[in-house]
Amino acid sequence: MRVLWFHLMPYPDLPDDFRDKHRSVWVDLDSGLLDPEVVAASYDAYLDQLVFAEECGFDGLCVNEHHSNGYGLMPSPNLMASILANRTSRAAVVVLGNSVALYNPPTRVAEEMAMLDLLSKGRLVAGFPVGTAMDTAYAYGTNPGTLRAKYYEGIDLVLQAWTTPEPFAFNGRFTKQRWVNIWPRPMQQPHPPVWIPGGGSVETWDLCAERDFVYAALSYYGHLVGKESMDGFWATVEKAGKDDNPYRAGFLQFVGVADSDAEAYRLYREPAEYFFQRSLHFFPGFVDPPGYSSEASYRRKLTSSVRSAAMTTQARGGPTWDEMLERGYVIIGSPSTVRETLADVAKTLHVGHLMTLLHFGNMDDELARRNTELFGQKVLPELRQVWSGYTDHWWPANVD
Amino acid sequence: MSTEPTASPTGDRTLVYLPGLAGDPGSSPALAALEAEGWTVVRPLLPGFDGEAGFDCPDDYLGWLTALWDAVDATGVGPCPVVGASVGGMLAADLAVFRPELVTRLALLAPFGIFDPDHPGLDPYSVPTAKRLEPLFAEAVPEAFHHRFAAKGESEAPVARYLTDIAAASLIWPVGDQGLEGRLHRIRCPRLVLWGTDDQIIPAPTAASWGDHRLVDGAGHLLEWDRPDAVAALLLPFLSS
Repeated sequence: MRVLWFHLMPYPDLPDDFRDKHRSVWVDLDSGLLDPEVVAASYDAYLDQLVFAEECGFDGLCVNEHHSNGYGLMPSPNLMASILANRTSRAAVVVLGNSVALYNPPTRVAEEMAMLDLLSKGRLVAGFPVGTAMDTAYAYGTNPGTLRAKYYEGIDLVLQAWTTPEPFAFNGRFTKQRWVNIWPRPMQQPHPPVWIPGGGSVETWDLCAERDFVYAALSYYGHLVGKESMDGFWATVEKAGKDDNPYRAGFLQFVGVADSDAEAYRLYREPAEYFFQRSLHFFPGFVDPPGYSSEASYRRKLTSSVRSAAMTTQARGGPTWDEMLERGYVIIGSPSTVRETLADVAKTLHVGHLMTLLHFGNMDDELARRNTELFGQKVLPELRQVWSGYTDHWWPANVD
Repeated sequence: MSTEPTASPTGDRTLVYLPGLAGDPGSSPALAALEAEGWTVVRPLLPGFDGEAGFDCPDDYLGWLTALWDAVDATGVGPCPVVGASVGGMLAADLAVFRPELVTRLALLAPFGIFDPDHPGLDPYSVPTAKRLEPLFAEAVPEAFHHRFAAKGESEAPVARYLTDIAAASLIWPVGDQGLEGRLHRIRCPRLVLWGTDDQIIPAPTAASWGDHRLVDGAGHLLEWDRPDAVAALLLPFLSS
């Protein structure tokens, strides 16, 4: 199994009464809460943590894109990835990713990712999320009714830009470009591996299964909710007549390691509560714009009791610490506890890429590093053995 | 092709109605009042607004206008008055701009199409889904909207409502300005613009951008539902004159 270190880069200084005084961490968040000094210091610490993760043996370093929020401070993950490309030498640089429908033309994504692949000497994983409703429909004003069609078209354009040797004309529904001929081109040929971050929509399963992209399930509600999503994905893969190589999939999980279970319970409570009660404090009016979910996904949402329970809990103020643990949102414990649980999760979900969130919420730098170090030393080596019989065809060419 | 309205082949008292954000649940008291005075209300079937499965959103506004023209042509009505509310008002205005031969009189009820940044109003899609209908009205949501699509059954009705929402939202995302201000001068037929004083979605000061207008006291965005008698009383003489 590949084990990756994922940074959300949250704003770490939302006030204690944030939930009471502010309706949302996203879209209409009060800019008066933002202290540029805090952001600048956080960027330094967060980038150092990612570099440290490579030193601790993690296989990949993940960054992602969000807008107008205090949940994640990366409107441009490519800026962060370019620094990582330069400061690291071994780990995959996993950009999860660029919301191609937001770029006009999406050719810009092809160009920047090509640059990142070259800067990292062929270590890029290219992720293409639809983007959250808050990012796409509200913060960027993109029509949710055509967002997904625009997104598919954007991916097509990027892949064609990477792989078509001659200048070509692109005549899409949304993008029309007479001359597409990007310079530079990616180092990896024919192109960097493509991963699609997803939250359980039926169309994303279809896209990944049909086009052999990695389905990277990004749920913050842990492996129990994730099981429903991953089962849906694997059923789609089977229906498409593809093999069940676990490296077709990735899964995101909050993890906290300490010397003992009791110590982990004490150490990780505050940052987890910060994340679920402040970083995930969305106004429900920004979650479900008409058209963001396709008809099929909307039908599925209506019948998903697991998802509905998670959303209900989030709406009433976020889960308690004990609920987070019971429901598997956060996996904590001694190295042996975490190792056994994660190995079991990987097998249950049948995932070959485990994306770990070892920094979350307002976790301080010291704890983030300790968590990373302990995981790297005492958890990661054994997890690597999981799925040893399979080949990862979705990994950058220049990373072991 | 002639661009001047001529007599309607379907009779003198036929009008086209294009509904607003929440679609058309039928049984509008304002339209019933018009029908009681001998008007026949024709409802062109726009994609998505019928809640039928398989709706594919037009790519852009031109796609919507094309769908509108097709839908109006499909009704077979000739030149006649057009009444449009909310998003339907925006489409009605553009019908008068681009197909002037079809529109003899134009009644607009709080139309989208011009966005006033000084009075942005409430983004109707920043309201949680379950409460999305509420700010469209000054008072309680009319029963007809609660029961819309009930015939489709308990599991399919929410899907149909969602598809209708997609259609309406895609017409006005993100702020409902389709450049109409630059085309208003192309409207040559008589025009009546009505606006609710309590419109939360497009606040009443925006009405000034449309030129002469009348305010309807105590009405919200879907004013023909909030104050049907007042709206019908203003529409009837305009349509009949």
